[in-house]
Amino acid sequence: MTGVPLNIDFQQILLHLLNFAILFFVLYLALYKPVKNFIDKRKAGYQELDDQTKENLDKANALKEEYESKLQEADSEAADIKNKAMDEANAMAKTRTDEAKAEAELILEKARKQAEEEKDRIVAEAGDQIEELAKEAAKKAIFDSTSDAFDSFLDSAEEK
Amino acid sequence: MEKKKKTRFIIIFAFIFAILIAGIIITGNLLPESPHEEISVAMKDAVLHETFKINLFGLQVNPAVISAFIVSGILIVAAIIIRIFVIPKFTIIPGKFQMLLEQGVELFANMAKENSPHCHGFIGGYIFVAGAYICIGTLFELLGLQASTTAGTSIALPAPLADINGAITMGCLTFLVIMGGGIARNGLKGLGKALKEFSLPISMSFRLFGALLSGALVTDLVYHYTLTSYVIPVFVGVIFTLLHALIQAYVLTTLASTYFGEVTEKSEKKVKVPKEKKKKIKAERA
Repeated sequence: MTGVPLNIDFQQILLHLLNFAILFFVLYLALYKPVKNFIDKRKAGYQELDDQTKENLDKANALKEEYESKLQEADSEAADIKNKAMDEANAMAKTRTDEAKAEAELILEKARKQAEEEKDRIVAEAGDQIEELAKEAAKKAIFDSTSDAFDSFLDSAEEK
Repeated sequence: MEKKKKTRFIIIFAFIFAILIAGIIITGNLLPESPHEEISVAMKDAVLHETFKINLFGLQVNPAVISAFIVSGILIVAAIIIRIFVIPKFTIIPGKFQMLLEQGVELFANMAKENSPHCHGFIGGYIFVAGAYICIGTLFELLGLQASTTAGTSIALPAPLADINGAITMGCLTFLVIMGGGIARNGLKGLGKALKEFSLPISMSFRLFGALLSGALVTDLVYHYTLTSYVIPVFVGVIFTLLHALIQAYVLTTLASTYFGEVTEKSEKKVKVPKEKKKKIKAERA
């Protein structure tokens, strides 16, 4: 007996303490830490895989969105080009039509002018001939008898 | 057929019962009064370990000290074998033994993380070792290893923590770990928080000591009387030991991690409210 109640012995407490300290040191270093490190490493690996998968998924989604937007852009661009081409074609057709119309108008105008000129020329020629014939008839009337003059006028008119 | 079987069973049972009763009576009468120690003496020795000491390199120690060294030896050898032969062969998809090891480590690591989320690295390791020591140490009692005392008699080695000195060591060491964590994390505030729980080492020590001893005492008590000394002590002893091994390991580790969490928690700084504002708030409340 050491005099301490309940047989508490400080020497034995220290022995227990030493024993537990050694046990803690060995078990912590040889068992707990390596197993914990392995678990943490595996968890980190899985986490990394998970993160990578998420990242790839995000990238794929972004690419999909990008492609979709590009596709939409291309569609709208194609529609624009088509519309533009249609407009251009329409404009060209219109100008061609206008040009053709203008040409036709010109041709018509020209033909009309020519016809007018021809008419004027024929009328002028006919006037000149009438004038000549009248002159000749007057001449004959003066120089021949009236009947001869008239006959000769008719004859000459028939001849003409 | 059924009736015949029944009568045969009853006859055999009655025969065995009669033999047992006769044996108890005869041995009681025939054997001389053995120098059987009284129950009070047995109990006192089981609690105080004053009578039987073991020689350890010239030191007279309680049998529990030897138990503690043997348990630690077993655990250390097992840990070294596992470290050298098992851990390097760990695979991503664990086998049965690897799973067992991982579960054991994760159980305590997660307990530390849950109860002490601010600082759980060291305490996880500590409660793992403490839990393993308490559990295996208590189960060690079941082996009934014999050691020779200084008096020349043999004694069954008890659980290391069934000795008051072992229990005090465990309780005080746990308190020191908690206090150390508090100081390392919160300085003087942590120390103050830890000292607030000044009864913790005593309660932890005596809880461990009492719980582990109670099993041994009940088994001793049951074993001490002739009528109850057949078969019953086996069940009582094994059940008490198993239950205490698990319950005490769980209780100490949970308490240690919870108190460690409380002590290492960073306290938020109180914002000083000016007196005038306080008055205003009081007036508004009124």
